[in-house]
Amino acid sequence: MIASIAFRNFKALRSTRVALAPFNLVIGPNGSGKTSLIEAVMRLKTLSKLPVAEGEPRQKSGGPEIEFTFNAPHDGLTARLGCISDSVCDTLRISPAHAPGWPALRADLGGLRSYALQHEAMAGGARRDDGAELSPSGHNLAAVLAHLRDAAPAEYAALTAELLRIVPEFVGLEVRERAGEVDFGLRLAEGGTVPADELSQGSLYLVAVLALAFDPEPPCVLCIEEIDRGFHPRSLREVRDALYRLSHPQAHGLSRRPVQIITTSHSPYFIDLFRDHPDEVIISEKHGRAAQFARLSDRADLADLLGGSTLGDLWFSGILGGVPEER
Amino acid sequence: MKLALLSESLVDETALRVLVAAVVGRPLKFASPGFRARGWPHVMQLLPAVLRHLHFNTDADALVVVADSDDTAVHTARHEAPGYFHPQCRLCQLRAVHRQTVKNLAPARGREQVLRAVGVAVPAIEAWYLCGREAAVTEAAWIEGRETGRAPYTRAQLKLRVYGTDRPSLPHAIACALREVERQRHDPRRLEHDFPGFAFLAADLRAVPNIH
Repeated sequence: MIASIAFRNFKALRSTRVALAPFNLVIGPNGSGKTSLIEAVMRLKTLSKLPVAEGEPRQKSGGPEIEFTFNAPHDGLTARLGCISDSVCDTLRISPAHAPGWPALRADLGGLRSYALQHEAMAGGARRDDGAELSPSGHNLAAVLAHLRDAAPAEYAALTAELLRIVPEFVGLEVRERAGEVDFGLRLAEGGTVPADELSQGSLYLVAVLALAFDPEPPCVLCIEEIDRGFHPRSLREVRDALYRLSHPQAHGLSRRPVQIITTSHSPYFIDLFRDHPDEVIISEKHGRAAQFARLSDRADLADLLGGSTLGDLWFSGILGGVPEER
Repeated sequence: MKLALLSESLVDETALRVLVAAVVGRPLKFASPGFRARGWPHVMQLLPAVLRHLHFNTDADALVVVADSDDTAVHTARHEAPGYFHPQCRLCQLRAVHRQTVKNLAPARGREQVLRAVGVAVPAIEAWYLCGREAAVTEAAWIEGRETGRAPYTRAQLKLRVYGTDRPSLPHAIACALREVERQRHDPRRLEHDFPGFAFLAADLRAVPNIH
């Protein structure tokens, strides 16, 4: 979907470009541009809904600029965001102007989604009619489950089966409706149901990730911050698999269009899972107040390094970069 | 008789339980959950702690450890000579760590030491899974490939052949591994013949007193 993003003077991303793969795990210290990358994608979504700007840019020279290129069938198209400041981007220009593929690309861009899931938000109930799409915090998770149960029973059954396989202490997913409100809980093998507001944080995050993974109409690009949050290290393989279900549907026997994933993590254990796919890891490196992106697979000595250490430990050690600066 | 298992993934652990039972000829009791390492260097780091834990805190009789050789030296009959140690051979390394760890432990729970059953899959455990299905996948073929500078296959290719994808889900990977080791369940001799790295594991297992 998105082939690359080039940044100029956007927050810490002073001058850097990142090529995106179907799956992208961005790792790096705090303040190194991981969230800014996702923010840029969401600004593209916002501005793609507005009329495309024409004529010469009115931004001051040297102001923030973000340029996107795309994969086939939109590979000849460039979208540039013009920004007044780091916090205000107000114009979108496409090149070539009036490109015939723009309406179709614009429709896809309108469906981009970004998540910073919050367990406190997910634990509450939701309005029954608010379940078409999981909100950025996941606050309507119960409604999404209810919607999925009714609108896509096969996907709901698959989600439930997957959930119960991963957390075998539960034997059922219960979605309950009352007067236009909906909540959910997990039924215990020994009897009784644990309501969402009493579930562990990890269980809530797992339900949300699975709700995204089994969405019958997923977006073309999905961004998730801190994907490892709340999970036991041994469960992270399941989380990665859920995301691969989106980004590599053919590997899971699905025929639908792949979803491009951009996610971030600070967990060496999650990073370990990408030993066989270093091309999916982006390291954000911060020097002073400026940050740059680099693909892990571009590192020529990576295979030799992996002979003596795990990928997560290599990252933590600082050998791969992407660690906080120290005085 | 109780065994513990140190492996790199749940997939490996599930398949190894079947293979170990195949060697012994009967179902065995395993300490659960299994011990898990995050890749080769972590196996070596964890092994002393796992052995100490098993020795003093559990009733396990032996620890099964299996690692991939990746591109390291393959354990051969020459390495079996008394006092021989190949620093680039993972089987030699694992045995040495076991030896050095247990010799410093006082007897506990009625036994002198936790025994070891060590195997190394050449170049990866997926090669063991393919035994009996793909005749060209053997330890000898890998060694010959290293000597001639033309590897007969890569680890990624082996994974692809077993799982049908380079990104298998955990349940899919387990199902594929179990399907493949089913061939060895009743007679693991072919696996021992084609993969001496498995034969060393089998020999260790058979040497555990009262295992049969």
